[in-house]
This record gives sequence, structure tokens and C-alpha cells, in this order.
Amino acid sequence: MVRLTALWKKELLALLRDLHGLAALFLMPVIFILVMTMALHDAFMPGAAIDVGYAIVDLDGSPHAQSLAKRLDKAGSFRRVAAPADVDAARTGLRASQYALVLVLPKGFGERLLTPAGADGQPTAPLTLLVDPTLNPALQLAFRNQTSAALGTLRADELSQRAGKLFGLASSGKPLEREWGDEIVSEAVQNDRNVRPPSSVQQNVPAWLVFAMFFVVIPISGILIGERQQGTLQRLAAIGLPFRHVLAGKLLPFFVVNQLQALLMVAVGLWGVPLFGGEALVMPGGIGLFHWWLVAAAVSLAAVACALLVASLAQTTQQATIVGGVGNILMAAIGGIMVPKFMMPGAMQTLAEWSPMAWGLNGFHTVMLRHSGFAAILPDLLKLLAFAVAALAVAIWLNRRPTA
Amino acid sequence: MLRIADVSFRYPKAKAAALAGVSLAIPAGGVYGLLGPHGAGKTTLLSLLAGLTMPHGGSIELDGQPLAAARAADPRAIALVPQDYAFYPMLTVAENLDFFAGVLGLAGNARRQASERAVAFARLEQVVGKRAEQLSGGLRRRLNLAIGLLGAPRLLLLDEPTVGVDPQSRSFLLESIAGLPAAGTTVLYTSHYMEEVEAICQRVAILDHGRVLADGTLDELLATTDSAAEIELDRLPPAELIERHALVARENFKFSQNFRSTVAIAPLLQDLDAAGCQVRQLHLGRQNLEQLFLRLTRRSLRD
Repeated sequence: MVRLTALWKKELLALLRDLHGLAALFLMPVIFILVMTMALHDAFMPGAAIDVGYAIVDLDGSPHAQSLAKRLDKAGSFRRVAAPADVDAARTGLRASQYALVLVLPKGFGERLLTPAGADGQPTAPLTLLVDPTLNPALQLAFRNQTSAALGTLRADELSQRAGKLFGLASSGKPLEREWGDEIVSEAVQNDRNVRPPSSVQQNVPAWLVFAMFFVVIPISGILIGERQQGTLQRLAAIGLPFRHVLAGKLLPFFVVNQLQALLMVAVGLWGVPLFGGEALVMPGGIGLFHWWLVAAAVSLAAVACALLVASLAQTTQQATIVGGVGNILMAAIGGIMVPKFMMPGAMQTLAEWSPMAWGLNGFHTVMLRHSGFAAILPDLLKLLAFAVAALAVAIWLNRRPTA
Repeated sequence: MLRIADVSFRYPKAKAAALAGVSLAIPAGGVYGLLGPHGAGKTTLLSLLAGLTMPHGGSIELDGQPLAAARAADPRAIALVPQDYAFYPMLTVAENLDFFAGVLGLAGNARRQASERAVAFARLEQVVGKRAEQLSGGLRRRLNLAIGLLGAPRLLLLDEPTVGVDPQSRSFLLESIAGLPAAGTTVLYTSHYMEEVEAICQRVAILDHGRVLADGTLDELLATTDSAAEIELDRLPPAELIERHALVARENFKFSQNFRSTVAIAPLLQDLDAAGCQVRQLHLGRQNLEQLFLRLTRRSLRD
């Protein structure tokens, strides 16, 4: 125990004097959480307003054209801006980036509402959508769909009113003035209760915490490779210190460092993100908090073991920085840290299952978003622990040496 | 104290053995010099003694016990001071000493006293609070040595302990090392600097290509050499003269000649004078270690 405490004290002193290592472990993930949470704020909020402006050029001026404009307004996803006088003015406005979309309602729109595409043999002028070519195609499609939906409901209302008049049925009276509420409400399905879908901060805090934990590879490899190059490991071996003690001497201090990272990241989510206008992190309570810590502990063991493996494989600190740094970024890219897994195509989601970071993130999501119990996180815990044991075993094997 | 019997070792994929049948008897209470050029097997031998590798043949005994058993019984019996600065540059001198004392298993007062003794021995009092990375080369060497002495070892293995230090620190280190046997520590000392070995070692072994070429006390080794003259001239003598007197060219205008009696040197001097060659230096009688090494290996120790 005297030996281990000496090793732990040495590791902590070495880490405290490594400013670059500390910055990589604590400052970098805090910045990532703040920036990514704000940047992806709307991406995780179904129905959130899209900050893209559109205008309507109404060449018809009929009540139906006004009703369509009103329905699009009510949908509220896109921001409507003042209408340009004519199509030429609309094109000028688009080129000047005053808005990204212009819907042109042709003359005779109201009159030909129920005979689209010349259904009666007479030509019908189409609705025209002018778009800014730099606008995300997905948003262009979203606006087209929204317009189609509004047009469809307008036709249906008009048709039912005319049919009602024809057959003497009751109707709503003023279909064009009808108020339209949200007809589809998003609801996340969870274990025991229904709550709102996860916010950006709920996704980003665990994601970047996992990423930050794996960055212990930088200080660990720096110290271990320095020990090897300076002959300190040789001296420790000559003293009779087994290599597994050297590894154990690094495991606990960096496990503690990982727990401090977890505290800091949670604090940033709880109090830092709201300061920048984001939503506060919601942590599980009671036994859920213990399950959350179990996941954090398992991720930490995997991260430290992985760092020890990289430090054992690399010959120089430069190699370790490249292998560790690039490896972490790859694991993060594959594992749903940088791009959430649900945004990936199927093949990439399958690949994500091989990233230890994905196991950790999935464990956190299971606790924080699905509010599931121990049994639900157990598979991810076991995968992380198995990874840690395997990485440690290989690290010890790589550093094996006979002793007299 | 330390008995090395017919020890051999070969690195994986190496064509030649690093050590081939090395046998040495290192008595307690002295400074034992181990001389040899790069690749002679010195560091391999130290690695075996420090327990870093196992010999492929032969045996090593410390005070009559097999080395492994002796190390198991007393893990602090042998200490290695590597040629590198084997400590933590980001830690202070005091923190380094405290750490290594802790790794040696020392705790409480024993740990504090061991650190204090090491500081006093290496005269590091003025820099205990300084980070190791801020120390001069000489002070780093002293810290390297001080760490090796924390466990009060019976056998101290020193691998080139004075490389890269200023003359003042070198002198201090040599004086300190020479005093260690009096405190109960036997020293096995490897160095390229033969004048150092001659100054502090009572016994010496010369190692080359993994074999012991000679070992014994300094007096024995230097006295057993054949009589030889080393002569330095101001110019090259005629080839016929070199052949007639069996002169062996060394470097520049230096030559050596083996002779049975000092009387034989007189005709050589007369012929050189007749050929117009002036003698700049003439060395006769007991040789130094460098000459002995040259004679045994046919190459310089610094090659």
C-alpha cells in the first residue's frame, strides 16, 4: 500500500504540473459542451422554429390565396417576411439574401383551386417556389411539404363546403378562417412515464463527457512514455516493482480525474448552459443517479485502460498523441459523439456498435432519457468492463519482462 | 559477495551472444570497475544483476544465495543507477526522493530519514525544493545517484555515472562513490573514463564481445603486461626503420614496440636520431588501463 500511495501521489503531482494535459481534460470538453449544445439547440427540438425566412408573392389576391398564406403562417416553422411587390422584386430579394424562399401564387389560383394541373382540360398555372440555391435541400423539401399540406387542407375544406352546399349538409361556415392547431404532437416513449424528448444539453453533456474521459490518453501516455524513455521504468523494475503496480498506480488517479470531469461537465450542463440561453441538464434522481455513476465509472475504466494500451504501443509521445488523439476522434465520430447515432445511415449505426464511446453514451442515454434500471445498462457496462480488462491485459503483455 | 559463473545471454534475433561464459567474482567492500567499449556486454550484465532480464545460462549468486532468492529476501539489496536521468523532471528533488523511497516500501520516519541521508550524501540541500528539470547536469547526476542510495543497498550498480558532468561535479561524484564501501555498499562501476576507473576502483574486469578478457586488481592487471615502449615522433620514420625495429603504428606519429629488456630501446633511439626523427614523448614500464585495453582488444575503448 505504501508503494501504491507513492505512485498515486506522483501521478497527481505530475498531472497537476501538466497544463496542456489539464486543458485537454477539463477545458476542451467544457467548450465543446457549450458550443455544441448551443449549435445543435434546435436540432433536438421537434417543431422548433426554423430561422429561415420566406415570402409570398400573391398574384391572385383571392380569399383562397390569403387563406393559404394564413395556413402557412399558422404552421409557424418558417419565418414569414414582408411580401415583395412582384416576382422580379422577389428574385432581387433572394439574391440579396433577404429571404431564402418565395412562394408565387399565380393569378387564378383561387378560381382553379379544385382543378389542379388542368384536370378539366384547361391549363392551370402552377405554384412556383423560388429558392436560394445555398439553402439546405432538406429545408427546401420541408417547405414544399408544408405548402403541399396547407394546399391539400385548403382544397379539402373548399370541397367539403361546396359539397355541403350541394347536398344541404352542415359545414363549419367560414372554412377559410378556420384556426389550425398542431395536429401531431411529438412524445418520447420512455420506461415508466412520458416526458418531453431530450434536449440538446441532454444529448451533449454525456456525449462530450465520454469523449473527454477518453482524452486521459494524452497525459497518461505522456507520463508513461517519459518514464520508459528516461529509464525510470527500468529503475522501478530494478527496485522490484511489478509492471502491474505501475499500471495500478495510474488507474486510480486517472479514475478520480475522470470523476472530477464528470462533476464538472454535469455542473456545466446544470448551470453553465442556461447562462448561454440553453436548457438546463436534467439529471436522474435516486437510484438513477447511482446507475448514472456506474456508467461513468465503467467509461472511466475503459478510457484509462485504453490510454495505458496506447501508451504501451507507442514509442514516443508524438506517436501516442497522434494514435490517441486521432483514435479518440474516430471513436467519437463512429460512436455517435460528434454526430448523434440516430442521424447516421443504417450501416454507420451498425458500425457505431463497435465503438466503446457508443457503449458509454448508450449507457448514459439509457439512464438519463429512458429512465431504465440496472438490467438495461448492464450490457453496456459489461462491454465497457470487458474492453477495459482486455486493454489492460494487452498493455501488461506488451510491457512483459522476466525478473530475476 | 557477488559470484557470476559462466553466464551467457543472447538477445532475440541477435547473431552473436551479448554475454558468452562470463565469470567474475566481485568481493564485498570495494569499487569494482567494469570496462568495455559499446556493445561489450556491460549494460546487459548490469541488467542481469538488476533483475531486469534472466541469463540464458550460468548462475549468479549474492552472498552465497541465488540472485532471485537474494532479491526476494531483501528487495533493497541491489540498486541500479542507470545512465539516463531516471527520475521525474516535473517533480522537485524532495518529491523525487520521497517517491522512490515510497516505492522501496519505506514509510514514516524511515522514509524521511532515507531522503535526508540521500540529500546529505549528494549535497543537494540547496535544491531540495527545485524541480529536477531545472537542475544542472551535475546536480541531476547527483540526484540520480542519491535515489540509488535510498534503500541503503549492499550492491550498487553504477552505469556511466559521470557522463555529461562538469569537472567539479565529476570530482565530487568520484569522491563520494569512492567513500561508499566504507559505508557498507559494494559498487560495480562501469565507465568509459579509464582515469576514473584507475582512480577509484580496486579491482577491474575488461569485457569485450561478451567475454571477460582480463580481471583482477589494478596492480595485477597493469603489472602482468609485457614490457612495451610507446614513442611519439615529430614525423614518420623511414619504412625500413619501422620494419627493422618492429614498430607498431598507433595514431598520427605514435608507435609502440615490445621489448624484452630496456637495453633494446637504445638502438631504436640511435636509428631514429640518424633518420632525423625527433622523439617528442617516450613512455616505458607500467602501462595504464587504456594501453592495456588497446593491447587486449586491438581497439580503443572509445570506439
